[in-house]
Amino acid sequence: MPAGVTPVPLWATLLESVQGVNKTRNQDYCEVQGRGTAEEPLIMAVADGHGSAAHARSHLGSRFAVDLFVEEARRFGALAQPPGDERPPSLAWLMHYAEHAFPRQLVSAWRGRVLGHWTRTSSHEEPGVSEEHKVLLYGSTLIGAVLTPRVFAAWQLGDGELTVVDEAGQVTVPLAPAEADLGDETESLCTPKAWRRIRTHWAPVTAPWRAPRLIAASTDGLSKSFASDRGFLQFMAGLDDRLSAEGADSVRAVLPQWLARASRHSGDDTTLVAAWHQGDPPVPGPAVAPEPVAAPEPALAADPVAVPDPAAAAGTGTGPARRPEPEPEPAEQPSPATTDPAPPTDPHGRDE
Amino acid sequence: MSDIPGGPMANRPVHFIWLLDCSYSMQGEKIGQLNYAIREAVPEMRSVAQDNPAAQLLLRTMTFSTTARWHHQDPVPVENFTWQDVQVDGMTNLGEALQMVARELDTPPMPQRALKPVLALVSDGVPTDDWKTGLRAVDATPWGRKAVRVAIAIGADADRTVLQEFLGNPELQPLDANSPKQLAAAIRWASTAAVKAASQMVAGATDPLAKQQAYAPPVLDDDDDDVW
Repeated sequence: MPAGVTPVPLWATLLESVQGVNKTRNQDYCEVQGRGTAEEPLIMAVADGHGSAAHARSHLGSRFAVDLFVEEARRFGALAQPPGDERPPSLAWLMHYAEHAFPRQLVSAWRGRVLGHWTRTSSHEEPGVSEEHKVLLYGSTLIGAVLTPRVFAAWQLGDGELTVVDEAGQVTVPLAPAEADLGDETESLCTPKAWRRIRTHWAPVTAPWRAPRLIAASTDGLSKSFASDRGFLQFMAGLDDRLSAEGADSVRAVLPQWLARASRHSGDDTTLVAAWHQGDPPVPGPAVAPEPVAAPEPALAADPVAVPDPAAAAGTGTGPARRPEPEPEPAEQPSPATTDPAPPTDPHGRDE
Repeated sequence: MSDIPGGPMANRPVHFIWLLDCSYSMQGEKIGQLNYAIREAVPEMRSVAQDNPAAQLLLRTMTFSTTARWHHQDPVPVENFTWQDVQVDGMTNLGEALQMVARELDTPPMPQRALKPVLALVSDGVPTDDWKTGLRAVDATPWGRKAVRVAIAIGADADRTVLQEFLGNPELQPLDANSPKQLAAAIRWASTAAVKAASQMVAGATDPLAKQQAYAPPVLDDDDDDVW
């Protein structure tokens, strides 16, 4: 390894999904990919299609949600760390983009995708079916996260959990709502103006050596299998312990059994994606300079999460992993243009 | 290695509460048929519960007459539930019963982690107390607002307006039981369809477009000679 180059921690990824008891098909969909570098941001997403007759195409809605999130997340990663000599935008601009533009673009793209799918796959236009009722058929939740060398950002619409285990082993769920929905009700992409209901987590990278050990996104089939919220947090702490003690391959081998057991208690499809790394804190090289942080960080700011040094060339994460989806999908139409409000006018402005 | 980490796992409870009118007007064949119908429905409830292994069905019974009282106060798992006949007593104090149920629908004692409760109201008359205050108390609780509600009107004297307000949804109608045969069918439906609706893992219900209920009552045959 060249002198002065910070090693990139190895990100091991986990991805598993099991079908719920008595379910005719798995309505969840998920994806995890990337290395956490500027070129390959770590991206993960899970979506939980609602099921039931009212949401008969929700298995497609969850798939569209994950696919479109990955596209938007790649775009976000490129914005955060443009290639070449182009100056990156300020953190304040990125935060505004994450909070406002990103949700609108994502929801708009999802609606465009599902309406396009409806048009292509419905042999006849049923009279009186409104756009909202068409979209309802595809209802799904979504949790997604992006980790770049500068920022950790995550979004959530509906139930499920985004879990972060920091370098000290502390487990947090930064996107948990102030008050959880009772029963099985949840917010959804099919809700009118759904972007307004998306919760956003934002944490600039202030100290690369304080990388989180574990980032996980899971559908509510996992958390609702536990008798209490505390039991779920204990699961995540235990998952981190098992990864540290026995490695990702060992956990990967038993993860289907764990999720199957959880599913038997929750009765729901159960999906977990995670990215975990282990190793000594990398020695900061000369290329690693803490970036000024946008101040003040408003309500979005929570647990700062560090990421590996993007300048490093050594080390690799696991390759893209994806739950197989057997059902073919007709050709897609391009997403409609969005009408998002413009972020701050100067994307390259100073953060101070 | 295969031991799953984390706290204990558990199925989520579905609390089913019978609200039974035991006023004097139920005396005779009506109360006898009601006892018979519920007793006969218990095995079917067990069957529904077995089909939904992720849900734990818990039963309670509240009776209301001159006073309201718990006939089964503690939630009983359907596997262990045995029906004990209810008796008639006096007036029709539905409001008091609803107040008592509302206290049970608060969190606590209701757990945050549960499936929707089921409230099944059976009545043949007109409430004799302030039932609207009782209904407001139920509606003021988070679980009360989300409860799956069913209502059975026994005979022509039942106040369907009250039952309709109890349902709280203009798309749902009280189920008329004008004969022993219809009452048995109605109890069977309330015992099973409502439990199925409550224990389904259905999301997206916060969307107003998704409020179409899956437990609309059936049309009951009315070919019984013995009509109330």
